[in-house]
Order: sequence, then C-alpha cells, then structure tokens
Amino acid sequence: MATTTPIGQLERERAGPAARDVVRPTRWREHAFDWGVNLLLLAGGVLMLAPFVWAFSTSFRLGRESFSLPPQWLPTDWRLDNYRAVLDALPFFRFVFNSFKVAALITLLQVVTCSTAAFAFARLRFRGRDALFFVFLSSLMIPQYVTIIPIFIIVRRLNLLDSHWALILPSAFSAFGIFLLRQYFLTIPRDLEDAARIDGAGFFEIYRRIMLPLVAPALVTLTIFSFNYHWNEFFRPLIFLTTWEQMTLPLGLTVLRGYLGTGNTAAVMAGVTMAITPVLLVFLLFQRYLIEGITLTGLKE
Amino acid sequence: MEATAGSSGAPRSALGRWRRRETFAAWAFLLPSLVPFVIFVAGPLLAAVALSFFRYDILTPPEFAGLDNFRHLFADDRILAVYRNTVVYVAGTVGLETVLALLLAVATHRQIPGVLRYVFRTAYFFPVLTSLAAVSIVWGYLYHTNFGVINYYLGTIGGPQIRWLTSSAWAMPALVFLGVWKSLGFSYILFVAGLQSIPRHLYEAAAIDGAGRLSTFANITLPMLSPTMFFAVVIALINGFQIFDSPYIMTQGGPGDSTRTVAMYLQEQGFRFFDMGYAATVSLTLFLVILVLTLIQFRFGRSWVHYG
Repeated sequence: MATTTPIGQLERERAGPAARDVVRPTRWREHAFDWGVNLLLLAGGVLMLAPFVWAFSTSFRLGRESFSLPPQWLPTDWRLDNYRAVLDALPFFRFVFNSFKVAALITLLQVVTCSTAAFAFARLRFRGRDALFFVFLSSLMIPQYVTIIPIFIIVRRLNLLDSHWALILPSAFSAFGIFLLRQYFLTIPRDLEDAARIDGAGFFEIYRRIMLPLVAPALVTLTIFSFNYHWNEFFRPLIFLTTWEQMTLPLGLTVLRGYLGTGNTAAVMAGVTMAITPVLLVFLLFQRYLIEGITLTGLKE
Repeated sequence: MEATAGSSGAPRSALGRWRRRETFAAWAFLLPSLVPFVIFVAGPLLAAVALSFFRYDILTPPEFAGLDNFRHLFADDRILAVYRNTVVYVAGTVGLETVLALLLAVATHRQIPGVLRYVFRTAYFFPVLTSLAAVSIVWGYLYHTNFGVINYYLGTIGGPQIRWLTSSAWAMPALVFLGVWKSLGFSYILFVAGLQSIPRHLYEAAAIDGAGRLSTFANITLPMLSPTMFFAVVIALINGFQIFDSPYIMTQGGPGDSTRTVAMYLQEQGFRFFDMGYAATVSLTLFLVILVLTLIQFRFGRSWVHYG
C-alpha cells in the first residue's frame, strides 16, 4: 500500500495501527500538507460562524456600541438590557410561543399522516399503489408560490386569515415525509409482519405495535426536519399573519428590526440570538439524524 | 368486510378475503394524507391554472379574462427583469456553492482528528439549519456601507468601500454570497456521502499504478462523484429559483428592481396589488421551470440510492 494520496491515509487508518506505524520517507511532507489543509479548513470554519458570533456578542453590548469599529468579536460586556428592550418593545415571548405551537402541531400532524401513508405504500398491496405514490412524489416539484394563491383564497373563505390554522392545515400533507418514512419501512423484514398476522394481529396493530417502534429513528429525523423547517418559515407567515398576537418568530424579527433597527441594533441581535439558540441546541443534540436524513433522501423539505 | 358472493369474480377463498381487507386497510391508512393532498395541493394547483384565465382582486367576483394574463405576461418588461435577476442569482449561488462544497468534501475526506472533523462539520453545516430571515437581518448589518464589518475589513487591506445593498451593481452579488454561505453545508454533506460510497478498490488500483493526487481526483473521484454532483446541482437550482426571504428582507427588491426575484414579483402582484389572476400566471411559469429541471434530473440523473 505505497500511496501518498489522502485516501491512502484513510486506508491505513482502516488497516489498523500496525500499518499506520510504517515509517516512510515522505511522511513529514504528508503531515505538513495535511496540517496546512486543516488550518485552511479551520479558517474557513471560523468565517462561517463569524456572523453568529457577531450577533451573539453584539446582543450583550450597549446599543450605541453595536457599530463600533474595529469590530469586537468576543463579548466585551454581558448586559441583558437589550433582551429586556426586546421584551418591552414587542410581545417577543408570544412570537416564540407561536412559532413553537405552529411548528409542533404541524410536526405532530405530519408524523401521523406520513407514517400511515408510508406504511400503506411500503407494506400493503393494493391496486394503484405505485401510481398514487408517483403522484404524491411528483407534488415535490410544485413550488409553494403556485398553491399559495388558491390556498389564500380558501383560507380567507374559511375566515382563517391571521390564524395559525392557515399555516397548520395546509401542511398536513408532506411528500417529503412520506418518502423519507417509506424508505425506512421498506427495510423491515417481512417475517415480523407474517408472525404477527399468524398471531391474529390486524393491520392497525401491525402498524402501531410492530412497525412504528422499528422506524423510530426515522420518526425522529422527520420530527427534526419538519420542526426546524416550520420554525424557520418566513413566506407563509408573511402572507397569512398580520397582527403581533399571531406572528411567528422570523416574521417578528423583521418587525423588531423595523421597530428598533435603526436605534438599537443590539436589541435586534438579542432577538436573533433568541431565535437561533434553540436551533443550535437541536443541531448539537441530533446531528446524526439530520445528516442521515439528508444523505438518505437528498432533500431538505 | 365479509366477502359476499363475488360479483366482481373475487375468489371466495381466505386469500381473497385477505386481499380485500388489505385494500380496504390501505385506503384507510392513506386517507389522512390523501384528504389534505386533494384540498391543499392538487386542488390549488388546478385552481392556479384556472385562475390564470381570470381577473380576480379578492373583493369582487372573478371575471373571465381569456388570455389577457398571458398577453400581459409576454408584454411585461418586469417579468423579463425578474427572471434575469433570478437566473443571475441561481447561476452565482449554484456555481460557487458546488465548487466550494466539492473542495471542502475532498479536503475533509481523509484521516482527520475526530474533534477537528466534528468542528468542521458543525461550522460548515450549521447555517443550513438557521432561518434565512434571521440571518438575512444579521447580514444586512454586516453589509452596511459605513459601519459594516465587511467594509471595515476591506478597508484595512486597502480595498474599496462597497455599497453592498444600495448599489444595483453589488446588491445581487451580496445576496449570492449570503446564499452560498447559507446552503454550502447542504451540498457538502451530499458530497461527503457520495465520496464515501466510492469503492475503495478503485483507489487501491490507482495507487498501485502510481497515480498522483491530481490524476486520482480527475480519473476516479470526479467521475464517480458525478451522479451526486448532478443531483446536488439540480436540488440547488430548484431551491435557487424560489429565493424570496433574503431579497425581501435585505433589499426589498431594490435598488429599483435590481434584486427583485420571480417569487418576490408574484408576491407583489398577488398580495400587494391583489391581481390574483396575474400572480397565478407568473407562478405557473415558475412551476414550468421547476418541472423542466425535475424532468432533467429524472431523465439523466441516476436515482439517489447510495447508502454510505
């Protein structure tokens, strides 16, 4: 295995410690190259996170210091005044609560509708199954901007403008979720189902007691994707919600910027920090599920 | 669900009964998604097509307009402008994103200390998960001409002070940079998975032949990764064509119409001017674009079934 490619190193790593300990003349050059690349990657990574660091540090400073140059990257101060300003100026906790409520209800709804449909598509035989699955999947290519106009008209007829149901009900169907869960349902061996049938279990029991627990990781993945997507959603709330009482977080942030943006940037950054921190926590906790979900489906809703 | 004397000719065996029950159960399981699909996806799609033949301002009843909306579409200078803007945005983000993500994926696909690997993945992927609206607000401040962090650092290295969001020359590039920063991590993750699925024996063979890094990359990595790249590019194109949040928040489509995208234009027509018929017509053109892109992926791309 005489090789100088980076892949070669991976090979040696997999081959075990014995192979890795072989001393070869080009080793120091490889090392220097590797660490050069690592340093570059690290610099890039710092750049990627810089906007968050700036927002975070600024949120704890005096408002008038927001634009002091040269920029201070680390928090120089730990004032909570800006957080208080945000909460005084706007019903910010209300925005947080609204976002949580909308995202949680949509997620719950989707877990039900997607898992039942995915079960039918993956484990049951019926005429028209493949055709219907194809139709469902095709809906992935309909931009939300096409359906939003008729949905707006429906929602207005139902008197649901400026209500959270305008966001929740139209999200009950998710082609992405059905596709994701079906992929998992397909991997479950048939024997388990057959055994349950012989024991006299009905379809719902098979779905509920055997299948659902086995696809739990997929349900976690769907939950994270769906919750994150709707927590961040901006366009539909902009169209449907008009009063502060109903607004969700991203929309609320733009209102906050309009309200305090020129006078107190620090307060706006306090709002942004509050909006992004939960996403960061979820990411650190569930990174594996997210990456798995993307590589399995190649989609992000 | 007892199988009565089969008028449809179904066998009265236990198996036949089971099949019927299975079909019945399947539709019962499908109902919770089928109903919202019909009401909120299929119905509205057809309604959008129908609306494009009407004049409708929400307040007064819709009025049949024949092909007026389509005539308007072909005579509309602004639709050309917003499509040009959107195409520029898409070309910029997709091009930069793909090249950078590929470099990143190749650079991290080797033996790296676990901590560093985790740091890289977190740093490059995290922006994908954040709200585009929230980060657009942050970047709006970073791009500020006089007080922005970006111009400050440009100044320290003797660069020009760019009017990022207030000049029609730079507003679109500013949005492109934000877009690349935001979704780079997504393509990166796809490429990493793609790299992991390349069979190891290919690299072993190349090593035995004495191939260097560059020729291994050009002759093995790139061709083996091309289905993944194709897929990632199509997804990025589809997402790019629908860009709305960042121009809406950072430039309001300005200066002039220089950063107004197709999605912004139809939002303006539909929900500011309440010209629902024309907004629906514009939305159908967007649908057409996405449809063509998807068909291209369907026709030429291999299906995505790499289990790393």
